[in-house]
Amino acid sequence: MQLNRSLADSCVEALKAAGADKAQCVLRVMDKSEFTVNAGKIDLLRTTENGSLSLTAILDDKKGSLNLNELDSKSVARAVEEVVNLAKISQADAANDIAEGGEAQSFDSGPTEPDLGAMYDRLENLIERGKQHYPLAIFDQMVYDFSTSETLFRNSNGVDLTERKGQYSFDCMFSSREGAKSSSFNYTGFLSHDADTELWLCGSLDRLLRENGQQVHTEGLKGKFTGDVIFTPDCLGDFLGTVTSFLTDGPMITGNSIYKDSIGQQIAAPSLTLHSRPVSEELASGYRVTGDGTVAENSTIIDKGQLTTHLLGLFGAKKTGGQRAVNDGGCFVVEPGDTPLEQMIAGVERGVLLGRFSGGNPTDSGDFSGVAKNSFLIENGKITQPLTETMLSGNLAQMLGTIRSVSTERTHFGNAIIPWLHAQGLTISGS
Amino acid sequence: MKIADLRAHAHLFNDYTELRVQQNRNVGLTMINGDLVRNPRSTQGGVSARVARAGGWGFCSTPEIDGAALERVVGKASTNAKVLAGRSKLGDLQLPATKGNGSFDWKSDAKERSQKELIEFLEAIDAHIKETYPKLSSRLMALSNLDMQKTLLTSQGAESFSLTPRSLIYIQMTLEADGEPIDLLESYGGLGHFEDRFDDPSVLFPTIAKQYEHLEAKAGGVYASAGPKTCILDAELAGILAHEAIGHTTEADFVMGGSIAGQFMDKQIADPMVTLVDFAHTALGETCPVPVYIDDEGTTSEDCTIIDEGVLRHFMHNKESAGHFETAPTGNARAYQFSDEPLIRMRNTAILPGKSKLEEMIASVDDGYYLMKPGNGQADTTSEFMFAVTLGYEIKNGKLGRGLRDTTISGVAFDMLKTVSMLSDEMAWTGAGMCGKKQPIPVGMGGPALKCSVNLGGK
Repeated sequence: MQLNRSLADSCVEALKAAGADKAQCVLRVMDKSEFTVNAGKIDLLRTTENGSLSLTAILDDKKGSLNLNELDSKSVARAVEEVVNLAKISQADAANDIAEGGEAQSFDSGPTEPDLGAMYDRLENLIERGKQHYPLAIFDQMVYDFSTSETLFRNSNGVDLTERKGQYSFDCMFSSREGAKSSSFNYTGFLSHDADTELWLCGSLDRLLRENGQQVHTEGLKGKFTGDVIFTPDCLGDFLGTVTSFLTDGPMITGNSIYKDSIGQQIAAPSLTLHSRPVSEELASGYRVTGDGTVAENSTIIDKGQLTTHLLGLFGAKKTGGQRAVNDGGCFVVEPGDTPLEQMIAGVERGVLLGRFSGGNPTDSGDFSGVAKNSFLIENGKITQPLTETMLSGNLAQMLGTIRSVSTERTHFGNAIIPWLHAQGLTISGS
Repeated sequence: MKIADLRAHAHLFNDYTELRVQQNRNVGLTMINGDLVRNPRSTQGGVSARVARAGGWGFCSTPEIDGAALERVVGKASTNAKVLAGRSKLGDLQLPATKGNGSFDWKSDAKERSQKELIEFLEAIDAHIKETYPKLSSRLMALSNLDMQKTLLTSQGAESFSLTPRSLIYIQMTLEADGEPIDLLESYGGLGHFEDRFDDPSVLFPTIAKQYEHLEAKAGGVYASAGPKTCILDAELAGILAHEAIGHTTEADFVMGGSIAGQFMDKQIADPMVTLVDFAHTALGETCPVPVYIDDEGTTSEDCTIIDEGVLRHFMHNKESAGHFETAPTGNARAYQFSDEPLIRMRNTAILPGKSKLEEMIASVDDGYYLMKPGNGQADTTSEFMFAVTLGYEIKNGKLGRGLRDTTISGVAFDMLKTVSMLSDEMAWTGAGMCGKKQPIPVGMGGPALKCSVNLGGK
């Protein structure tokens, strides 16, 4: 779809004319081309186009917002009127605001058109390779898409930012079977700016497919013990997402965040340094403009174990009196440690190599429990057996303090770069 | 768009084709400690076409809804199908002919409440909670209304219109206990427009009082002991078990992808007292939380009895899987947005009630837990499941004891269902479920209380 640049400007003017003290318009157009593999067959080619117009009006500190994908003039005029009315009937809150204006800027990344032939080849080659190298694997579902988006941010403070992005995204869910025995399913994914690299060479796919074949024949644990856990990069990425969710507007505004007063404090062992790098050339999935319409910058969230920033948006910062973050989080890059993975495993007396964690959302206090999936038992420094029906529990905040080492090796997912991490003192129980 | 407007484009259909116009309308409000922090509305609509050719599918969608756009999406979907057919050697799809026809409109007859009135509704509830329960450290309320409107025409002659609204209010209350925040979330509402679901805020006050009572018990409660235990799973947990641990493994596309359920057809997988059904729209004489009369492939939706007296009998199908398994489609093909292709999705999945009284069931447990409310849940192709439990009580010598802090249960469903020894004679539905499988989709889940053995996570 084509971006109608004048529409965004006219919306801001129309919102002001309708009574808004402050007005914001975010106009986006998106195109996607997607191959889907079901039960090992490439059986769907899907193309979608969509538009999105998000309008915000603030008057007398009262805010209304509205999103629609009908971009014709009648629908937009109706939306302008409606969003101002939404603001009028809302509650006044001095924290409602829009971003300060600055120099007009335009950002561009990634290709503009998909290479459908290459995408098909990559999928076909992966399926073919599976027959030789992952003979037990069943590709339950794979989605390989190319998407482009162009976004205009405009507001009545003079914000004028444009961002165009193009990227390939691959997601794969798979399991393995031998006779009547099945492994647990596992999944992974990654992003890139081209479709030139064979898929099994990206992210953790090759390793996970090989491991999944070994996980057909699992054994359960008996009893309960306190042990070590080595988080694999896929699993650690999920945990870091959970940890950083405690830093965002919702838990900070309710006051329930375990990290609400922790800026400058040691919240993890010194071996952990976590960056958020949305403008890094290393990652294909970055962003240059935040959801509030400010220019994004890289940040370090945890520096040698010390919390350096919350992830507050404009509203959350004003509401809590905190500092607005320079980005929206995500795009995690964890600094590598100094322990090779092999040495890390050798240092575990009894514990779990955690491939995937199927668990409940942690409580406000950080307690979590769930099932270790696609995981292996480690005994006396060696991987001894794939596990089934094994539960893990602990507390996120306490766990970060027990980190013993971070691996030298890291996995590059295109939207994150993550190592293995060795933590201690988790409760591990069998059936 | 009316069905007649779609019919005018039927001449564009050369291969098997579905043409769907859809609009989803959302209203969302979020209030934290009495402050309205989100007040958005959104509308997502457009048209999509899906075409089958030589074993593959082509799909295209656009937000524009006019004659030219309809022609364009059918043409592009056909081209996409041809591109796949040119490269893949998939063999012909056997798509059973179905011709569902009807209009199913759940629009309220009552005057629609304005956004201002919706905000005032939440403010009234919040004011009541603040005044009645001053010990709370925080209050969060969210209102979420979704209208899903679809018009469908297929090359096999199916024609349907549906408007299915869902209106929900979520209330989360938090207490400080031992310096830690302890919370409990409850959802209210379900099928229907807000005006049909919620009359006056005070109607909710008695259930909010119960929610607070449970929260106090939880705040003063204990952690579950890790390991296997005899438990009574209340209706909401039975419902999520039916959906996550059994339902997903018996979706025919998962079976084709290697689900363990593929090995168990016509085998005893549960105690004979267990019967599990994915209801299309009506269960035990009442409309289900997410009624589906005609699915998004134009198939008239039928109930699917997955487990009948402990024996696995049926999988849930779309046309493609029905063709593969040489059976009839069950009407489970559903898409979330106009831009989504229909997938095999559950509708209203429930274990049927038994004959026991809940009190008798609790009294029969010497040392175990009564688990009442699930958080999130996941299951595996092996039927191994995990559910968070956000509300429960100890059972000691047949009596309810202390409240429980958050915990997790897990097990292998096809093993665990063989341990079921009692089912209560009443069942309950939850209409707040949102299932994720490439796309989200609203689902209903239900069941009685059931007595069984499961593994608990704890400290």
